[in-house]
Amino acid sequence: MNHINLDQKDVFLILQDASFPISRILLAENEEQAVENGKSLGFPLVMKIDSPEISHKSDCGGVKTGIQNEGELRLSYRQVMHDAHTAYPQATLHGVLLQKMENGREIIIGAKKDPTFGHMIMFGLGGIMVEVMKDVSFRISPLKESDAMEMIQEIKGYAILKGTRGEKSVDIKSLTTILLLLSDLLSKKPEISELDFNPVMVSEHGAIIVDARISL
Amino acid sequence: MNLDKLFKPKSIAVIGASRDETAVGFGILKNLIKGTVFENDGATGFPGKVFPVNPKADTLLDQKCYSSVLDIPDPVDLAVIVLPAKIVPVIMKQCVNKQVGAAIIISAGFGESGAEGKKLQDEVVSIAQKGNIRIVGPNCLGVIRPHACMNASFAPTVPPKGDIAFISQSGALVDSVVDWAVERDYGFSTIVSYGNAADLALHDYLQWLADDEETKTIALYIEGIQDGKKFMEVAREVSKKKPIIALKGGKTNAGSQAISSHTGSLAGSYEAYKAAFHQSGVIIAEDLNELFSTAFTLANEPSSGKRMVIITNAGGPGVCTADYCADLGIELVEIKEETLAKLDASGVMHPAYSRRNPLDLVGDALPIRYQTALDILLGETYIDGAIVIQTLQTMTNPLQDAAVIIAAKKKNPPKLIIAVFMGGKYTKEAVHMLENNGVPTFNDPHDAAKALKKVIEYHSRKKT
Repeated sequence: MNHINLDQKDVFLILQDASFPISRILLAENEEQAVENGKSLGFPLVMKIDSPEISHKSDCGGVKTGIQNEGELRLSYRQVMHDAHTAYPQATLHGVLLQKMENGREIIIGAKKDPTFGHMIMFGLGGIMVEVMKDVSFRISPLKESDAMEMIQEIKGYAILKGTRGEKSVDIKSLTTILLLLSDLLSKKPEISELDFNPVMVSEHGAIIVDARISL
Repeated sequence: MNLDKLFKPKSIAVIGASRDETAVGFGILKNLIKGTVFENDGATGFPGKVFPVNPKADTLLDQKCYSSVLDIPDPVDLAVIVLPAKIVPVIMKQCVNKQVGAAIIISAGFGESGAEGKKLQDEVVSIAQKGNIRIVGPNCLGVIRPHACMNASFAPTVPPKGDIAFISQSGALVDSVVDWAVERDYGFSTIVSYGNAADLALHDYLQWLADDEETKTIALYIEGIQDGKKFMEVAREVSKKKPIIALKGGKTNAGSQAISSHTGSLAGSYEAYKAAFHQSGVIIAEDLNELFSTAFTLANEPSSGKRMVIITNAGGPGVCTADYCADLGIELVEIKEETLAKLDASGVMHPAYSRRNPLDLVGDALPIRYQTALDILLGETYIDGAIVIQTLQTMTNPLQDAAVIIAAKKKNPPKLIIAVFMGGKYTKEAVHMLENNGVPTFNDPHDAAKALKKVIEYHSRKKT
């Protein structure tokens, strides 16, 4: 079975329509636009090369994180464009994508269509925790609020989310909100076969989806 | 849905009955008439009417034989069909004409054998539907209802009567379970091997068993479910009335599907089953041993057993049990001073008894010590139940200890009691007595703790 991966722009439109909290991404085609867009997003920023031919962006210096001010932004723009061109002289470079750098814990939220039970939703700590520990929980969609809460509490890393050694708890409610919005989205769009929100960044102030993929 | 013609028939026809003792058509007929093929003193034949159907015989096992189901003068509630797949459509038409109420199709060679077989299966189902005949199977072992003395299967014999229903996708598994159940004296209310589930599916059996008075707990062996959403919907309702516990076979992923996302690589089909079971209140068993020991515990323990004490005549097993409970998150209560005062005042405790949970009665404990401890501890409102451990010393009296535990259970119906009688030859009889009186009994305290955990899980989910 072959999946069709939705275009990044369509993914963001779908999520925006469904009122998911998503981190805005702005394209800058030149340095001045980068400054303008960067200021409107607010520092610190993440910058990524935008080119249909370059899939492993960080390997060619195509990603910069922690950009703190206009000076660093200008410098980063020139570096990213130059390095990408050096690595891939034939590639079309649309410019750079800018996104505000979000703080907090990395979370992964996903969904997959199961042939027997329909959509199944996954929740877990993101990054290395999901890669190595596979510390994730599952529920069949649609979710009740208690299911969403249980999914979060069930993972071993729950203690990390609740805060250890005097840290404040992250905003758990903001995570259940995303899980329940996802449950609604899957009911409305049964054609979705797989979906990843990876990462979702969560802090004591709330949760925001930084990157998302959807395939049909 | 009414499946009474299937589960409570008054008359049964065996279409394809045989005189050949090695044929399935012989085994089923004998199971119906005698209750068993293998020697089993506990077996009795079906009290209703049994009609062998075979055009080449006049009598089979001293019963008048009919050449067709249409020749039987009486009404037929249930037909058991044991004939080659390709003639089953013709036979099903006869059953429709005869107004048979339900059919068990034992024969293989249908959906499980490929596209041709699937076509044949669909044809048979569509014929049956016109006559409102519900079908078990095809490609199955049959149905056993010990309370009704109905063994419409080719299992070697009939298991004892009990209150556990076992619904299995695998027929061969049923055979072994029946043999084991006879040896263990483990009782069943119903056993169904449902094979290809061409018509009646797992959720149909669940729905019927929910209201079956003889069934207290439902144990499932599942390899695959056809309609997952429907299963969840039914199981969610049924599990509020009766515990359902399931063992899932085929946990590993075939992995044939292209996976394009992170979630896809982690979300296998067993994860989906586990999630679906959890959300519909179905308890998950990891192996057959756990399936049946937990089913028995759930059938016999109506209460939740949240705050437990361990009563033991042995230090080591008490400590191990406490460890298992801690690992599984089972709460062991702190025994209050006032309770200890009562134990002290009883005058039967050993001077060196542990005075804490686990309550170690010391190795020379006689039945009176167990009895006193059970009376006092289970009399406390802050204690929900007890795990009672017995190891065998020279002065130990397993049968009397068992009697004490059984009496305590009768005296304290809302409290949960699980026995751990560690041993073998000299404790066997006591274990048997405990189980026959509905006390879940284990040899290994780890198994006891795991079963207890499932009971707690079931009751806590039932509340939500």
